[in-house]
Amino acid sequence: MRGAAVVAGVGESTYYDRGAAPETEFQLACIAIRNAGADAGLVLADVDGFVAYMERNEPVRLSAALGVGDVNFTAQTFGGGGNGAGAAVTIADAAISAGYAECIVVFRSLAQGQFGRYGQAAGSRRAGGNAAFTAPYGMLTPAQTTAMQTMRYMHDHGVSQDSLAEISLTSYAHAQRNPRAIRYGTPLTPELYHASRWIAEPFHLYDCCPENDGAAAIVVTSAERARDLAKPPVAIVAGAHGVEHRDGVGAFGEANFPTAHHRHVGRTLWQRAGVTPDDVQVAQFYENFTGPVLMAIAEMGFCEPSGLDAFVAGGNLRWPDGRLPINTSGGNIGEAYIHGFGNVVEAVRQVRGESTCQVADVELSLSVSGPGYAPGSAVLFGRV
Amino acid sequence: MGALPADWTLPALTPFNAAWFTSGALAIQRCTQCATLQHPPEEICHTCGTMTFDTSTLAPRGTVASYTVVHYAAHRALAHAVPYTVVLVSLDEAPHLRVVGNLAGNDVHIGMALVPYWDEHAADDGTTILLPQWRAAG
Repeated sequence: MRGAAVVAGVGESTYYDRGAAPETEFQLACIAIRNAGADAGLVLADVDGFVAYMERNEPVRLSAALGVGDVNFTAQTFGGGGNGAGAAVTIADAAISAGYAECIVVFRSLAQGQFGRYGQAAGSRRAGGNAAFTAPYGMLTPAQTTAMQTMRYMHDHGVSQDSLAEISLTSYAHAQRNPRAIRYGTPLTPELYHASRWIAEPFHLYDCCPENDGAAAIVVTSAERARDLAKPPVAIVAGAHGVEHRDGVGAFGEANFPTAHHRHVGRTLWQRAGVTPDDVQVAQFYENFTGPVLMAIAEMGFCEPSGLDAFVAGGNLRWPDGRLPINTSGGNIGEAYIHGFGNVVEAVRQVRGESTCQVADVELSLSVSGPGYAPGSAVLFGRV
Repeated sequence: MGALPADWTLPALTPFNAAWFTSGALAIQRCTQCATLQHPPEEICHTCGTMTFDTSTLAPRGTVASYTVVHYAAHRALAHAVPYTVVLVSLDEAPHLRVVGNLAGNDVHIGMALVPYWDEHAADDGTTILLPQWRAAG
């Protein structure tokens, strides 16, 4: 489907442990956006749009602070969290391709020290909506709800605990090559993984992403506009964002339980792109928890659910020799949890040849956003 | 271990979920037009669009569809309750309907046969909530 839009710049703030950023969340957003603009060789006066997901830092405030010119487009996705990262890129692609804006910043900024953690539940005496059916039973957090999905998925498809471990071990291994990564210099071993405490079975501590402070951004513009900018543009080959009928219905009411809510995204992405999973050289799979990553690998069509153990075994997901290296920056688990926008930045870097775990001859580079939540999303980048 | 505190969070009642949380039975929302059973209850029938409902009381039997044993207390009020078991229960008379509950004890496996019981709670607005819970059958 290749629209008219390309990625012209990427940038991030320094990544910090949760609560350790000396900057505010708004300042982190400004830093990442400035860095993405500088990477593109743009002045921020050229930016005329902002797209984000679950974002607290509003375009009106950002545009005033950053010296952006007149704003022509703003948008934010629906849905609970990191599942919107690919969707945000897709919205920017749509707006640029339709001519509603010329240069859009897509970004996410997160300071959990300033604003509180996602992994902690807020106390409330009465729970409404779908939470009425879960919170009274102590089912409160994403770790717990995706554990429920993962437990049944492992049972149905013969997925082993070692395959869960391999997702985390892969992210940690790749983070050892990335100086931006919070886990740089802190390797993980299978022994440490298996010895770590349970959080919610089947998840150990190391099945869960950390929570971090930081921000990441990309600049999306037209292929024509990108021609005179600083870096070679990266094509947005296709995006997909959505959910199949009754998938994601609350309190585990979905017709196809257990699921990571990415089956529809997988089907539509490959159809739109006119390629198959076999054509992809490298992929970033948002790791909230290891189980949903495995489910997303299968739902995106890389293997059958019953083939997951074989697909991830033998270092198949690891740089440099694996057939499908994933999370090559270290991902949410190893680099930093910026709600999956670091995964998007890394997917772009793989096309440019700038990764610290650079895969050879990348034509197509995939980023899959937060599995386990609906509507899901994914975006496929490639050479122009 | 395994029991949540007596003053822990209760469901906020609505006209749509009240039967489930106050009847002391597996009272599932049923569309008055097409008789579709829905859980969690919704404000409109997903099958035919009707907005009026009654309930169908299903036999008190279920099977563990999935579970998690929670070891990390995500709220400080649960610090002394961990580890506790949350089960996803497929109702035997309508296996496509799944409900969440706690299981008495942490000995659990997928496919385990369960029966419900109801924990009585006095909510702060004076209503009595009968929260469905589960234990091993037999």
